[in-house]
Amino acid sequence: MKQRASLLGGVAAIVATFVVFVIPFLFIILMAFKDRQQSALRDFSWPTGFHLWDNVFEVVKTRNWMMITAFINSSIITVASVSLLVVFAAMVGFILARRKTRWNPLIEFLILAGLMVPPAVVPTIWVLQGLKLFGTLHGMILIEVAYNLPFSIILYRAFIATIPKDMDEAAIIDGARPLDVFFRIILPMLWPVTVTNIVVQSVGIFNDFTNPLYYLPGNANATVQLTLFNFQSQFSTAYNLLFTNILLITIPPLIVFLFFNRQIVAGMTAGAVKG
Amino acid sequence: MAGLELKALRKSYGDLEVIKGVDLHIEHGEFVVFVGPSGCGKSTLLRMIAGLEEISAGELVIGDRVVNEVEPRDRGIAMVFQSYALYPHMTVYDNVGFGLMLAKTPREVRDKKIREAARILQMEHLLNRKPSQLSGGQRQRVAIGRAIVRQPEVFLFDEPLSNLDAALRVDMRMELARLHQDLGATMIYVTHDQVEAMTLADKIVVLDGGVVQQVGSPIELYQRPANLFVAGFIGSPKMNLLPAIVDAVEGDVVRVSSKDLAATAIRASGEGLKPGDSVTLGVRPHALTPTESGSVVGQVALVERLGNETNVSITLPSGTSFMAVLDGDRALRPSGSIVLGFNPADALLFDGAGLAR
Repeated sequence: MKQRASLLGGVAAIVATFVVFVIPFLFIILMAFKDRQQSALRDFSWPTGFHLWDNVFEVVKTRNWMMITAFINSSIITVASVSLLVVFAAMVGFILARRKTRWNPLIEFLILAGLMVPPAVVPTIWVLQGLKLFGTLHGMILIEVAYNLPFSIILYRAFIATIPKDMDEAAIIDGARPLDVFFRIILPMLWPVTVTNIVVQSVGIFNDFTNPLYYLPGNANATVQLTLFNFQSQFSTAYNLLFTNILLITIPPLIVFLFFNRQIVAGMTAGAVKG
Repeated sequence: MAGLELKALRKSYGDLEVIKGVDLHIEHGEFVVFVGPSGCGKSTLLRMIAGLEEISAGELVIGDRVVNEVEPRDRGIAMVFQSYALYPHMTVYDNVGFGLMLAKTPREVRDKKIREAARILQMEHLLNRKPSQLSGGQRQRVAIGRAIVRQPEVFLFDEPLSNLDAALRVDMRMELARLHQDLGATMIYVTHDQVEAMTLADKIVVLDGGVVQQVGSPIELYQRPANLFVAGFIGSPKMNLLPAIVDAVEGDVVRVSSKDLAATAIRASGEGLKPGDSVTLGVRPHALTPTESGSVVGQVALVERLGNETNVSITLPSGTSFMAVLDGDRALRPSGSIVLGFNPADALLFDGAGLAR
């Protein structure tokens, strides 16, 4: 009896997952194979012809090869922000976990505030303009780092608290200076959380749509999510091209996930329980 | 290689003073053991020597340098931690060589030193493994190896054996003794295990409440403890401590008695003692023998027969429990009566302030 219940539960879960996650993805793929007329119907039908390569070529070529620029920009933003995030968040987490001062509660409050308070777009643009960073890639990188830092810090701090302090002290006795302790001893031991951070943040930043929309105007600065606008307008939308575009920009995050899949869960739960 | 000098060392966290003025002289090449109960400040004192804790007041001299303000790496020390603190992402080879690498020792010299340390500790076959692939004893060896390659003037050990199982602990203890002989370096060793202290030390420092209670060789501490704390702490099973009253003082002989103790004459300094004073009589369990007319009479409460000796726990008329270790196997009946005697020369007398007479 109990076995049947768990079997039913399992089947229900699989069906639900299929409907929620797989069907939309299948829809995207099917749409990417269709021609313009068929895709305009927006139904779940089998493509009448094989138009994938035509669609891909069209998408990449549109607006003076904007897709290529966008991929380059997005990659630069993602790699640079994630690198900075990993280094800075690990450093802050290390100091927060190790050095107990009366400022800690305040700092922890600020980190939580950074996680909860919604960013104000217009004042941020003023600041960026004042710093001559508005509409530049490095300005965008700084924005992404600032917005995502609190989450990374929280992940790191919990993990560092489980690394015994003896480790630092052994390194100090061995002659390590503070930066040696961090980069040679602590950072390598943080690998499981670092992987989690890399995956979660790079997918988030690569797929970020709103922030580049606000802070990174201009064709030369397009990021991958903004290329979606190329095929969508008030009066006509080329659905086959739009979905081909979606398919193309889903590939990089998918690869990251496939690569690090296993280690993500380990990193998420590491530090939660002392093991 | 060098000795150490601790001059009125103090450590306080805010208002809380944990080390209350420690003076200690350690000769070059000595094996010194700090013992004491949990929280007595022994580990803190060691960490102050290592430079991991700041010194609040006083002076620390290693060799002929005052090192209060010197960084740990420049103090000429190496430390072995209770948790071993091996770097999990490095091989044994890199763990041992980490300090040398930081000191920018040339690769060939480094390699030679690492292999030499591995040879001394018989762990050459482990060099390419990661710490997670090692057993507890092997990890301990790596931790010691990491200390050896630094060629320190002073080795510091913070309860290095307490994470090992009993059998391994005995082996490693002997190995440490051998290492001390081979290297001839000064070693300071913190433990709460008095067997380790007794077997390893040239000199034991007994600490309690941040104060040095007594410094001396293991046998000195065992035979002539300076006060009640040391008497109770050193020796296993614990020394029996019986409250008693002075009956008479005759120069170097003090006569004492109590409800549990027939009148006994003890050889001790009677200076300052007068009849009627409260004192404490200390008798080691091993000093007791069953006799016809002993000075202690009680009821057998518990018997532990170990074959070569018998541990007997006795309840005295006042309800105090009393421990005796008798030679050979003795089939004593619990709740039977027993009479025990001891040679007065084996007994110790402590005055009202707890100091040995």
